[in-house]
Amino acid sequence: MRQLIVRRLLQTLPMLFFVSVVCFTMIKLAPGDPVLSFVTPNMHADDIERIRHNLGLDKPAYIQYFIWIKEMVQGNFGYSLVNHQPVLDQILDRLPATAGLMGSAIALAVLLAIPLGLVAGANRNRWVDKLINFIAYIGISIPLFWLAILLMYLFAIKLHLLPSMGMRTIGVESPLDVLKHGILPCTVLAFSFLSGYVRYIRSSTIGQLKEEYVQIQYAFGSKKSTILFRHVLKHVLLPVITLIGMSMGDLVAGAIVTETVFSWPGIGSLGMTAVKGMDYPVIMGITLFSSLMLIFGNLVADILYSVVDPRIKLKG
Amino acid sequence: MRKGITGVAILLLLTLMISACSSGNNASSTNAAQTPAASQEPAAGEPKDGGSLIIGVASDPVVLNPNYAGDRVSLTIDQALYAPLFQVNNGKKTFYLADSLTPSSDNLTYTLKLKDGLTWHDGEKLTADDVVFTIDSILDEKQNSFLRANFLIGDKAIKAVKVDDLTVEFKLPQVSPAFEATLVQVFPIPKHIYENETNIEKSTKNASPVGSGPFKFKEYKAGEYLTLERFDNYFGGKPHLDSVTYRIAKDTNAANLALQNGEINVQYLDPKDVPTIQATNNFEILPYSEGRLAYLMFNANSDTGALAKKEVRQALSLALSRDELIQTAYTSSEYADPAKSFLTPDALYFTNDVPTFDNDAAKAKELLATAGESNLKLRYIVQSGNKAQEAISLYVQQKLKAIGVEVELQNMDSSAWVQKFIDLKATDYELALTGYIMGYDPDAYRILFTTDSSSNYSHYSNSEVDKLMNDGAGEADPAKRAEIYKKAQELVAEDAPIYPIAYTKTVVAVSKNYGGIDEAVLKPVVIFEDLSKIYKK
Repeated sequence: MRQLIVRRLLQTLPMLFFVSVVCFTMIKLAPGDPVLSFVTPNMHADDIERIRHNLGLDKPAYIQYFIWIKEMVQGNFGYSLVNHQPVLDQILDRLPATAGLMGSAIALAVLLAIPLGLVAGANRNRWVDKLINFIAYIGISIPLFWLAILLMYLFAIKLHLLPSMGMRTIGVESPLDVLKHGILPCTVLAFSFLSGYVRYIRSSTIGQLKEEYVQIQYAFGSKKSTILFRHVLKHVLLPVITLIGMSMGDLVAGAIVTETVFSWPGIGSLGMTAVKGMDYPVIMGITLFSSLMLIFGNLVADILYSVVDPRIKLKG
Repeated sequence: MRKGITGVAILLLLTLMISACSSGNNASSTNAAQTPAASQEPAAGEPKDGGSLIIGVASDPVVLNPNYAGDRVSLTIDQALYAPLFQVNNGKKTFYLADSLTPSSDNLTYTLKLKDGLTWHDGEKLTADDVVFTIDSILDEKQNSFLRANFLIGDKAIKAVKVDDLTVEFKLPQVSPAFEATLVQVFPIPKHIYENETNIEKSTKNASPVGSGPFKFKEYKAGEYLTLERFDNYFGGKPHLDSVTYRIAKDTNAANLALQNGEINVQYLDPKDVPTIQATNNFEILPYSEGRLAYLMFNANSDTGALAKKEVRQALSLALSRDELIQTAYTSSEYADPAKSFLTPDALYFTNDVPTFDNDAAKAKELLATAGESNLKLRYIVQSGNKAQEAISLYVQQKLKAIGVEVELQNMDSSAWVQKFIDLKATDYELALTGYIMGYDPDAYRILFTTDSSSNYSHYSNSEVDKLMNDGAGEADPAKRAEIYKKAQELVAEDAPIYPIAYTKTVVAVSKNYGGIDEAVLKPVVIFEDLSKIYKK
């Protein structure tokens, strides 16, 4: 077990390196020039060159990459090209907002998906199943920004129940206020995760219902609901661990669309701004940070898996 | 039976969504009736004190230091946080920190007098030292202020010298009437705060700025909002509002909903959203000139050389109709005035009474024939995703086809577009739609239209215009200067290096709960020139 963890952690390094190379290459290949955001029409050519030089953008791309990685190894994520603030500080500043939103959205989605998936799977091809499937399809096909605006319109403008945007009422510092602001974005995000989870749990329920232990329970005369929630549930929960592990990347990368529409001050909206300004230290920082979380999330999920289900033995 | 229930459930869900969605337009009027504030009349004409104002902005400010603020949001916030020396509207000066500005008889020295008893937000005195320090930091190459180029005439720097605590003298290397326009952009920064900073742009002190404007810094929550509070010692009198908050709303649709919901009180509007907001009856809709010219650029330097001929450029202009273009891009002439001159209406010596080539296809064909051009093929670079750009490009393509000119549209990402556009060596396109805001002094336009200058993207060259523009830069006599720029406007219009389309307006919605808008003066980019005048009814 310990060997496995060490090995997986070591595997992380080349993986991150690979991610950083791909990401950096893509940024440099993209059209556009970060210096342009500083240029005004009456600037002299040597002023522009000086800015380029100060930002280190006059060096060949591979040198820029080496400089970046050298700093990175020393734990320095670099500075934003646009506002010159340390990248790590900006990410950490925004992390609570994103983690809170994504965490609650994933939790809500899982909580809803488990009963929905179980019921759908147990009633395969019947109307309940079809209804749940229909909702899941809507979740997949509805554009998130549209759903967001719709809910905003309904709950903020029409019913005056919830604030339409932001994370706080101006000048108010209370968890309850944040919670109130979080309801709409959390619902929108949960809805988008829900569909995938429901379909996953549904198919795994269908699979489990064919297992012998279920037949035996039937033979013993157990009620269907007892079988479902006492026996099948346990088995179905296993893949949910993997699902959550896979979502760890999202947990820190944030949801660009949802955060932007609701003006939620998370990493997603930070990333959006960075991409627009070709601010590569920020883009790289966010990409690496979320890759790291994804890798760790998967590792933790694997470990948990073997703890919960002793049949699965992890071999390094 | 079971099937029936499914059907009902699905139908219900669908109707819910459709009704919620389609009510988008008429719902706003019912909303207006519910909001009691809308019907409240101002008690009297008298401004009241107290209350707060929320202004919606599209992004976080980049840097709250006027020596570095180049983005719209930073400039907007700085306008309330820092006070300028003076501002100019329609050629008239309004003095803020300054009390007067007097040129010497040879026009090489300007004497600036500051008001007495000025203070910074932290209580320190604001003196000539601060003004000199600000100019010196702008000129210091190590400090990287993009305003630096404005303080160079030729290649020589303008010098600021302290005479006494309230007097600064500016020494110019040569006569430059445009110098006043340069000073308009100066918002002094406090010497006692920034004196020992090796890099002011990256200084952590920008995170808690100390200014001299009507409102002082209170708090900033990245990605959420920035709040300023009243500065009681503001030299222009105590501001009416207790606080002003800039709320960051990145999504336009969401921002418009927040506006209707009262979570934002002031907000830019897209012309297409005006009817919705107007229907609520809760907002003043205020279109005002941005001092911006939108135009179609002819790249004379393209490898085909087609647009190097004046007649061809005139012919292309004749094939287009300004009014149709305005309808296409701005939905109505309410949001854009037809443009003929390269100067904008706010500029000194502006005249729209210049030669124009517009809407005459027959004459266009004739001109092409005399120029000996047939089967012209032009490449037009378009920013994809930009609706106005795309609409205009299709219009231009269709209109030029009518005079036998084929236009190939090249759609590209906006950053790629900008990169190509500002590359003076780019020869692989002929047409591009763009615009500029250059300020009120005509000398600022010199870099756009003189031979081989830094921003002459259309590669226009006319020695007569070069001479006029250079003379105008150093001509102190307003009457002679007016003559020079009148001639320059006529010549450029005749040569048609660009096809001026419109002087565009920006539209801002202000909640009817607020007054004092006229006194605060609507201003391009920053919305209000002086926020201290706004009050809550």
